[in-house]
Amino acid sequence: MADTALTAAPAQRPNIDGLWVVPPLLVLAVLFFYPLGLIVRASFGEDAPSLATFEQVLTSSRFLDGLYHTVVIAVSATAGCIVLGFVLSLVIAFVPFPGAKLAGRLIDTVIALPTFLVTLAFTFIYGSAGLLNETLMHVFSLDLPPIDFLYSQWGVILAETTVYTPFVMRPLLATFATFDQAQIEVASSLGARPLRIIRQILLPASLPALVAGGSLCLLLTVNEFGIVLFIGAKDVITLPLLIYSKAIQEFDYTTACVIAVVNVALSLGLYSLYRLAIAHFGGRRAGLV
Amino acid sequence: MLVWSKPWRLAAWALTVPLFLVVYGLPVGVIVLAGFSGQWNDILPSNMTLVHYSRAFHTDSYDALKASLLTGVLASAAALLCGTWAALALRGMRGPSKRVLDLLFFIPSAVPSVSVGLALLVAFSKPPFLLNGTTWIVLIAHFILISAFTYGNVTAGLARIPADCEQVAESLGARPFYRLRRVTLPLLLPYLVGAFSLSFALSMGELGATVMVYPPGWVTLPVKIFALSDRGAIFDAATLATILGVATMVVLLGLSRLSTKAMVR
Amino acid sequence: MAQTAVVERTPRTESVVSPAATISGGSRITFDNVSVAYGALTVLESLNLTVNPGEIVALIGPSGSGKTTALRAVAGFVRPSAGRILIGDRDVTYLAPYDRQIGMVVQNYALFPHMRVEENVAFGLRAHGAGEEVIRNRVPECLAIVGMSAYAKRYPRELSGGQQQRVAIARALAPKPQVLLLDEPLSALDAQIRRSMLDELAKLHRDLPNLTVLYVTHDQSEALTLANHIGIMRDGRLKAFGESQSLFRHPPNRFAAEFLGRANLLPVTDLRPDGGQMARVRFGQAMLSARNHHGIPADKECLLCIRPHDFRFSRAAEEPNSISGTVLSVQWQGDVQNITLNIGGEEARMTSAPMANPPRIGETIAVHFNPAEVTLVPEDAGRG
Repeated sequence: MADTALTAAPAQRPNIDGLWVVPPLLVLAVLFFYPLGLIVRASFGEDAPSLATFEQVLTSSRFLDGLYHTVVIAVSATAGCIVLGFVLSLVIAFVPFPGAKLAGRLIDTVIALPTFLVTLAFTFIYGSAGLLNETLMHVFSLDLPPIDFLYSQWGVILAETTVYTPFVMRPLLATFATFDQAQIEVASSLGARPLRIIRQILLPASLPALVAGGSLCLLLTVNEFGIVLFIGAKDVITLPLLIYSKAIQEFDYTTACVIAVVNVALSLGLYSLYRLAIAHFGGRRAGLV
Repeated sequence: MLVWSKPWRLAAWALTVPLFLVVYGLPVGVIVLAGFSGQWNDILPSNMTLVHYSRAFHTDSYDALKASLLTGVLASAAALLCGTWAALALRGMRGPSKRVLDLLFFIPSAVPSVSVGLALLVAFSKPPFLLNGTTWIVLIAHFILISAFTYGNVTAGLARIPADCEQVAESLGARPFYRLRRVTLPLLLPYLVGAFSLSFALSMGELGATVMVYPPGWVTLPVKIFALSDRGAIFDAATLATILGVATMVVLLGLSRLSTKAMVR
Repeated sequence: MAQTAVVERTPRTESVVSPAATISGGSRITFDNVSVAYGALTVLESLNLTVNPGEIVALIGPSGSGKTTALRAVAGFVRPSAGRILIGDRDVTYLAPYDRQIGMVVQNYALFPHMRVEENVAFGLRAHGAGEEVIRNRVPECLAIVGMSAYAKRYPRELSGGQQQRVAIARALAPKPQVLLLDEPLSALDAQIRRSMLDELAKLHRDLPNLTVLYVTHDQSEALTLANHIGIMRDGRLKAFGESQSLFRHPPNRFAAEFLGRANLLPVTDLRPDGGQMARVRFGQAMLSARNHHGIPADKECLLCIRPHDFRFSRAAEEPNSISGTVLSVQWQGDVQNITLNIGGEEARMTSAPMANPPRIGETIAVHFNPAEVTLVPEDAGRG
């Protein structure tokens, strides 16, 4: 009823209730916002605050190289996630096969697992002495491993696509689960073929989930650290990895802080994009947290 | 049913099922298999052995497992308390102040873990908070990184529990704390369990911030796995990865059964 | 406002025979100029209404009419922007819901899913700090009132909708509330169970004659069955209020006539007093007799309110109070037959017993009515 919805707001009580938020906010302020503020300050240099370090770092080739790799990897992996996620979700939801449910649950558990496990597995599969290369060498009697993409940008992209596809599939499967199957049946009865149904009915319906899942993927891939670290390709350095090597291996905290500030700004921007996407497509969080 | 003709349906499966298996089944398979391998110089591993497992439970790998479990439990418990508190406090609020506070509690999930690690390193290596080199800094890092997820889960849960129940409770004379204890929290229980399991899983797999801040005496499983794989002991790394995966799954499945039970009631 | 028949029959004394009757003491609910607004949107405007002790007052109206807001203001879940709400002599306007001593039953029952039936019923008692002894006595007592004694150990999910609603009522009654607020309590039930629950509620009130009840519904038959008084709301205002039967028979305005019982309203002119409460009016060429219950002054334009069942077929066209109309549709509905007529350009509905040879569409027939059964209603400013 309309008036129930209107009155769902509880009566306003005296405003001291707002004070309950202070303890958790204080915890967050001391443990998170204070340190975050400190790296911003540290990025301006130890003694006399200046933009000198900023300028120096932002124009350095290592930083630009890292930024380039970060963006290329994130965008490619996200595109891969969207395509793979859409195809797999479509089949699980609409061309159900025995075990489709199980596959859906598997997706949920993949989300919970650490990202670098996949990289480790890839070493065994696509590595120079891995399953694939050994098989090909046996079959075609080769002396050298024919497949060598793992320790490059492509290895990272493939690993990230594998790991983050479930983040696209989860909202998609949630959308498809509530999707009125009758729409497809009616469309079929009107003579529409599967590709037309996908293009004209399913794709528009899954747009919110795709945008939400895709922007989340973008955020996560920009910040991905474990996969890049585990693959350890010398010429694939992303921003998080650069921060790590500057701080932990070179003890250059100021440079690390500058890069961290850039990285944080970038990912906050992507996060706003993600929130906007969710807000734009209605309050339903599309199965995302 | 999207595809009606049988040949096309079979074609769709023939394409996606192997794809699914290659993308998700194969990686899990090889990691598990590698844990039992003595050697892997051919297509399939040879010299199957349990020596990696015996090592995993007897050397410092075992300490890493314990450290990870403990970190996961403690950080998740703290994040659950903090997140639930924040979600409940923000629930009664309206207007722009609520939106701003809501955003503040979500922001940690948007900040890259390596940067969080760096920030903690910078902040807690000097007075007034000298925590660098202690276990605390690892716990704090994990707490920060998962706090937004617990907050989000609990907030989503609060939005889903029936408002009527709480209002009826109030009309029956239940004061705020009584209502919280007897109605709100029990109704919220499945979401609390869900939030805890997600936090725990995230904490168990956390690498970026931990690798920045961990002290020598508190090496978590992911850090240990990286160290092993970095120095070429990939079978031991695979073993630990299997243990990490299984431990996470066991906790997740156990908790999810608990929460279904709570949900049904 | 007049005391209702129920209260007159069973005055509030301690010597009431039924043992159940002592368990709830009724108080008066008073809305004193209550307005509720959300920003610029006023959802309830200057409501003045009294629910007397032991009385059932039903608020009916379409969605968004403000009836639920009024109920929730009594419960304390919406705070009035102006005016006062009293329960008994106590001003509760600024009191928290848990201090108001009310019982509340909502549409979807809102039983606590994690508690057994008996714990649900005990909830209010425990919240008030009642001892185990009291709870041991009171819970079975309340479950017995609603006939749910056998289900004490069940969980809500193991009960049907009707059973859940009974438990919800028992739970509301347990702490002996001063007033009982029922917010669309039957709308989630299917038609048959709704019918029997309606009987149950009527019986409940016979057993607990002192219980003051505010009942919000959009279903007029629930209101007519249960309530002593009915308030009809629209757009945040109380459009009509009165004793149920009288409100039905003599609706004070067009909206009340249409909303309660879907009356036919024919515009009439040339009102002439005709002795007593009767009057003669002109409808087209015809001169008709009707009750002028509201004392509408002569010559004022007004509406003739005829209920569908008040029309009868005329055998001779010359019968007094006869008007003729063209049949637009005939619908057979089993035990009744609905006929739509075009009477002088107005569409009118009549119901009758099913006939072997019903009138044909397009046929012109004559109908009449008993002047004592129909009422003249003043034309309001706006339509509907």
